[in-house]
Amino acid sequence: MNKFWSRIFLFAVAFLLLLFFSNDFGIVNIQKTAIVVAVGLDIADGDKVDVTAQIAMPASSNSGGGAEASSNVSIHGAATVGEAIAELNRKTGWYPTLVHCRLVVLGEGTDSEDVFRFSDYFLRSEFVEDSCLLAMCEGRAEELLRAKSSVGDMTSAAIAKVLSNESQKTGTVCVVNLRDFAKGYYSVSGSGALPVLSAKPEAESGDSGGAGGAQGAFAGDCGGFAGSSALPVQGSSGSGNSGAGGGKSGNQNKSDVFDATKTALFFGGKRTALLEAEETLAYNLAASPTDFAYGDVTVTENGKDVTYNLKMKIGKRSQDLTVEGGVPVFTFRIRANAQVADTNKSETIEEVAKTTIVPEHVLRAAEEKFRQKLSAVLKKANAGGCDLFEMKIKLYRFARPYFDALKDTVLQDAKVVYDIQFDTLK
Amino acid sequence: MDKIKLRQICFLFAALMPVTKMIIYPATVSYYAKNDLLLSAALNLLLMGAVLALVLFLAYRTDMTFFDLLQNTFGRVAARIIYGLFALFFAFSALLPLMEQKGFVTQIFYENIPPVIAFAPFFGVSFFACVKGFKTIGRAADIAMPVFAVCFAVIILLALPEADFSALLPVGGGGEGIFRGSLYGLTWYTDCLYPLFFLGHFKREKGAWWKVGICYLVGAAAVLLFLGTFYGIFADIALRQQNAVAQISKYTTAFTSLGRIDLLFIFALALVLVLSQCVPAQLSVHCACRALGDIGPLWPAAALNILLLGFTVFFKYSYLELQTFFTQNLWFVFLIFSYVLPVSAHLLRKQERGRQGKTGGQKHGAQCGNRGARMKETRKGDTTGEERHE
Repeated sequence: MNKFWSRIFLFAVAFLLLLFFSNDFGIVNIQKTAIVVAVGLDIADGDKVDVTAQIAMPASSNSGGGAEASSNVSIHGAATVGEAIAELNRKTGWYPTLVHCRLVVLGEGTDSEDVFRFSDYFLRSEFVEDSCLLAMCEGRAEELLRAKSSVGDMTSAAIAKVLSNESQKTGTVCVVNLRDFAKGYYSVSGSGALPVLSAKPEAESGDSGGAGGAQGAFAGDCGGFAGSSALPVQGSSGSGNSGAGGGKSGNQNKSDVFDATKTALFFGGKRTALLEAEETLAYNLAASPTDFAYGDVTVTENGKDVTYNLKMKIGKRSQDLTVEGGVPVFTFRIRANAQVADTNKSETIEEVAKTTIVPEHVLRAAEEKFRQKLSAVLKKANAGGCDLFEMKIKLYRFARPYFDALKDTVLQDAKVVYDIQFDTLK
Repeated sequence: MDKIKLRQICFLFAALMPVTKMIIYPATVSYYAKNDLLLSAALNLLLMGAVLALVLFLAYRTDMTFFDLLQNTFGRVAARIIYGLFALFFAFSALLPLMEQKGFVTQIFYENIPPVIAFAPFFGVSFFACVKGFKTIGRAADIAMPVFAVCFAVIILLALPEADFSALLPVGGGGEGIFRGSLYGLTWYTDCLYPLFFLGHFKREKGAWWKVGICYLVGAAAVLLFLGTFYGIFADIALRQQNAVAQISKYTTAFTSLGRIDLLFIFALALVLVLSQCVPAQLSVHCACRALGDIGPLWPAAALNILLLGFTVFFKYSYLELQTFFTQNLWFVFLIFSYVLPVSAHLLRKQERGRQGKTGGQKHGAQCGNRGARMKETRKGDTTGEERHE
């Protein structure tokens, strides 16, 4: 082959590679395609399913700076989710693409039998990313997706903010994607957890005693968490500066804020228990990738109750399962550094300056509260058979010879050791 | 003379070999071996390494090409028939990876399922590579090495924080599944056959053993690291994760505001994949040319690529059936061609006919010393060999 043909070939190859990698043939016709950004599933009569698809609508840039808008389309009484998606095409003429679906919301009732009865559709499809967020909701998912968001026009975008990685890092919300939940469901533990979403009118959002008071401070004097303590971290309570659906008070139309501080526990796809906001925080501190968390601890000083608001950085966390003399021993090992974020007493300027130093008795009180809360979470999970802390998985992986004998009783019989240490700058 | 450098053979094993095992293979081996997928893959890699070592050993014992060895032992007609069979085998073994790659490209890079024509450009690239011969394989390996090194490192670094390697425990519980995974995974482990056809086409260098050996180990380690990370991320749902290389890095939280920037590196790895998929097609054309009497590569290359395009269209919706058939029913074909025959090559007569009396009593070292001179003589006498092919 002479040089001329070699060059022709080279140019042809370059051109073909350009076509090959540039998606030149795959341009999406926006007029014919429905870009589904969120899907809601609700139980309907007779084992049927109602599917609500939130479809992103392209907005012109001169009508609000290119703000995102969406439209919800519902299909009622389908036998399967796949059938409903096909029906969507027939009803609207749009071909639904689920590549951009970032949220799947399961309505109340879908958890009574097996949530994967319907949601496995998203696991089967190659065209749905299993990194999409999965959540339960109070009431119907259809209604939740119709809620008016205070942050933009797309409800799903506001919900995604509530379920963001940033929320996860503060421990306020148990963020779960489809892969995480499926891994638990198909593992030897058959268990999992999902955040429970609820939409609240903005007017209610300032109520610190509501579900938004999540962040579950370690309150009360050595007695337990105080459920009513709201913390100024992002989440769902709708405070003005909250990153999680926090309301914009200047908004003329009444909008909703979203809360996801409760967590539903599952075994075999069925809901078995519900963790309240402060229990969710305790669970996240012990088992989820939480970086910083805030919590209140009330101690008695000079005959008075003093509440310390602590900022906690989790340094090390692990849960180990060993079998000692035929008895499974489950150890929580948690190391955290704390500093004082605030107190409800007046302090001298020297004390204010020493914000990185937490008094010893406050640290011990915080450890005790955390231990009690974690114990309550474990009890609640184990009662329903939910292997929230993956004891069965650990038994299978690290103590395989005991697995067959102990797998059915490990949740109840495990001796739990809490090795929790809070430290501060000395 | 169609030459390839030793360095390029090293890169072939370090860069092109691992990338072919990062699409469907992880899910397939997870299906059979579950959390013991590393054992299953290690078994294949050990076997392939052993065959590769034997082929390299053969390269040290003779300067002849594989065709010359066959011709020397069985005669010209038999050698052409055997090369014809290898041509068919390479074409056959190119089909499944092609379908795999087609699925990968259309599912990962396209929003909607594109028409078949979207994949057709590959055959243009393949045609070009087939026409150019071994030199292109070498150059492809040269290009692939740095691209693979950078992209693989980035993808793994993005994926590692999500991986829980305890999912690989307990080790050895898979039992029969480990061997089944190895057996049915043979279709992905044909790389050890390639050096057999490079015999006489590359110059032996000092330290070739350890150079190729280390590069092979690097490639094998990359495969095992990838599989371990993959299973660490997906655990019990690993068996449904097709297009593994595009899946493992997408959960990283570091770039959530930027979107999936890992796709840039996946694109680059797809380019390496294109180059690696060309190798069996190139070898098929090489074998076909020799089998058909040392004709030029243009027509065999055109015919092969049209045939492969036709098969790709015909089996458009049948990848799973094809994969099941290949892996579960035809594994012995891959075993014979990729493992048994290369090992059997040691039995071939390594001295030219008529020269046995002269050199038969000489020691191996002396034979090696005379190789250059003997090869020149061989080529002078046998003009139907490489020179005509050139």
